[in-house]
Amino acid sequence: MHESSSLLHTAEVVHWAALIIMAVVYSLRLRWLFSFKPGADKSAPGAPDRTDKKRGAFYSVFNVAMPWSMESTRKGFVFYLTFVVFHLGIVAGISLAFLSTITPNFVAKPAFAWIIGSTLFLAFLVAIYRIFRRLLRPVMRLISTPDDYFSLFMLTVWFGLGVLTQAHMAGVQGFESVVFLVAYLYLTSFFLLYVPFSKISHYLYYPFTRIWIGRALGHRGSYPIVRG
Amino acid sequence: MSKPAKTHKIKMMEEQLAKKLNRQVVGSLVGCVHCGMCNDCCHYVLTHPDDPKMTPSYKADQVRKLFKANHDWTGSVFPWWVGADKVPLTDDDLDTLKDVAFGTCTNCRRCTINCPMGVDTATLNRIMRGLLTNVGVMPEGVRVVSKDQWELGNQMGVLKEDYIDTLEWMSEELEEDLGHGEAEIPIDKAGAKIMYAINPREVKYDPRTIKEAALIFWAAGEDWTMPSEGWDNTNFGLFSGDDGLGGACAKREYDKARELGVDKIVISECGHGYRSTRHEGVNWSGEAEPFPMESSVMTMLSYVKEGKIVVDPTKNTKRVTFHDSCNNARSCGFYEEPRELLRLVTTDFQEMYPNRAEGFCCTGGGGAMSMSEYTPRRLKSGEVKANQIRETGAEIVVTSCHNCVDGLGDIIKHYELGCEVKQLVDLVADALVLEECAVMKKRPVTAAKIEVTEAPAAKVPEAAPAVAVDLPLAGRKILVVDDEEDIRIFLVTVFEDAGAEVIEASDGDECIAKAKAEKPDLISLDLSMPGKSGVDAFVELRKTPETEEIPVCVVTGHPEFRQVIYDRPVPPPEGYLNKPVDEDKLVSYVAHIIETKDEKES
Repeated sequence: MHESSSLLHTAEVVHWAALIIMAVVYSLRLRWLFSFKPGADKSAPGAPDRTDKKRGAFYSVFNVAMPWSMESTRKGFVFYLTFVVFHLGIVAGISLAFLSTITPNFVAKPAFAWIIGSTLFLAFLVAIYRIFRRLLRPVMRLISTPDDYFSLFMLTVWFGLGVLTQAHMAGVQGFESVVFLVAYLYLTSFFLLYVPFSKISHYLYYPFTRIWIGRALGHRGSYPIVRG
Repeated sequence: MSKPAKTHKIKMMEEQLAKKLNRQVVGSLVGCVHCGMCNDCCHYVLTHPDDPKMTPSYKADQVRKLFKANHDWTGSVFPWWVGADKVPLTDDDLDTLKDVAFGTCTNCRRCTINCPMGVDTATLNRIMRGLLTNVGVMPEGVRVVSKDQWELGNQMGVLKEDYIDTLEWMSEELEEDLGHGEAEIPIDKAGAKIMYAINPREVKYDPRTIKEAALIFWAAGEDWTMPSEGWDNTNFGLFSGDDGLGGACAKREYDKARELGVDKIVISECGHGYRSTRHEGVNWSGEAEPFPMESSVMTMLSYVKEGKIVVDPTKNTKRVTFHDSCNNARSCGFYEEPRELLRLVTTDFQEMYPNRAEGFCCTGGGGAMSMSEYTPRRLKSGEVKANQIRETGAEIVVTSCHNCVDGLGDIIKHYELGCEVKQLVDLVADALVLEECAVMKKRPVTAAKIEVTEAPAAKVPEAAPAVAVDLPLAGRKILVVDDEEDIRIFLVTVFEDAGAEVIEASDGDECIAKAKAEKPDLISLDLSMPGKSGVDAFVELRKTPETEEIPVCVVTGHPEFRQVIYDRPVPPPEGYLNKPVDEDKLVSYVAHIIETKDEKES
């Protein structure tokens, strides 16, 4: 028991240290991104009566929640749903990692356990689907890098381990070993350190890329998209 | 096996890339997660399902690899991990890149608006084009057109005297139509309110649009002018990725407008011309919005709304649909005005789906019309647009872009859609009720209702005796070259009816032999023929001293042979018409080519 506590304690320390390192690296990443000159459009607004930079940026940032706004998500609605589940799984996984060290009793509550556990399980299934999609479709194979495969594979493991960890935290019979939680925290720590150097760092850039393209197309008059 | 050392060109490309980086570009370079959602939005992907290299993210990855290898943390240390190890190293690699950047993408930006991450893939492809252009790697057509635009100020190599001559020709035609010379096209009129900038294609291959625009300006009582220089609204810098050329072209227009002291530049119907002059040119040239600028569609719409011109939609009763130019709709938010105008000048408008910013490319964008080596692939990619058009049941496809006119024309022919392409200016001119327009209200109405669409060359007074001297081609000798007997008979009949003496040839060898023997005033040349093709015959004609000066008007049904215009080792043909050809247009066009040659010689 004492050995388990020590293992867990070390994992928690590593976990929080990794978080701090990630924050530092992310700050440097953003500093790097903003070291490039801003692109400016000096031309007069394209359709000032209809839209502008602000409207374009607002529309662009929130199009993630508007599957009807892009043809790619309208026509690929099932894929959009898998995208939602996958990313909710990441939110669930991060929540589990941090709350399990801060407030383990809350994590053990049945409602929490069901929500987090089922979300992680669905995300795990989606991740497996995504692995096959990337492996089987020639287009996906062509554009995939080792980083794409590795990130996806590790996230799949993380989701799976998350389900087991949530079961452990909820006291489910057969999952009593603290090893689940320790392994999960170490894997999370690994991600915290690896993410800034991998494709997963896209979520750091996401708000900026969406705002910038939204401002650009809003200024020109083509965002928000109008259909008729 | 060790990798070859980077060539000088590759090193130059890496240096250039560093200069092109800004936050937005870097965001697009680092933001892609290779999710593949851009895949099904691209007309090349949809029509080449077995070729994964058509996917937009693969195309963008070509520049992304260069970036990661040189600027990204992970890519610099572990290039293989993020795909940055497959950067181009040799000049052969650059040829492959050229085919990707120029031959598999029209920079239509449809992938951009469908990317969940906000990655501007089309801009990345344009950057790759710019890097290649900078080291001299580009399709021959792009090289020729860019050279013409740098050196002669317009992308089709139109000489100043030919341009002025065309404007004067159109003024004369207007005078014939109207019975007076009040609608003469003003050139370099200082202090005019509007400077009208056009696409060189209008001068070279479709001058009727200039006449129609002039008629509308006159009817509206507009104070306008056309410049003698800086008149080309197009900009190959947009297509080649050469911002230097882009800035130079735009500045020519702005400088001329400043010199003339006009209030506004009006840009004729050209998608990339509008985008380049109105938006990108401002940024490339470093001038902060030098003038108010608008599309001629907006100008015509305002004339109708303000009552300066009166239009009768019942003059255009055929079913029409509208094709959005990608540059206009996706990159400039310019899509409602043409629809509004179209509804005012036609009676049966059928929307095409998807449309506006979501419309598909006509396949003629990104300078594709000048890259004849990619024509078969381009035509295959046009299947998406062909299906869109077919579903509307339209007899006329309207567009506000000259590249789209050519791109759609090719698609209509290739997929046998049986419709024609027009621009708004054609339809507005057709719908004009001249006697009720602003200019007529200011003067006593003496003219009867004028049918402006009728081609002048066909106008022979009924009462006039059909003497040879009144015929537009009287005393001329024309060599008609076409392997199809039906078409040859048609052309011979049209030219003979116009007063010409006509000789015939059915292949390239016969063409050259008869050209040498008969010394015709003009050769009407088909390009696709058995034996020696029209393209080979054309080049030989140009290289043979006895025939090099004979004007050639290409009459072809095969767009893939457009290389004789763009990809040329010899001077281009004097004329280029697509089959099926309109009789009146053919006669007036050919007559003008011969007259221009006469004037030059005299």
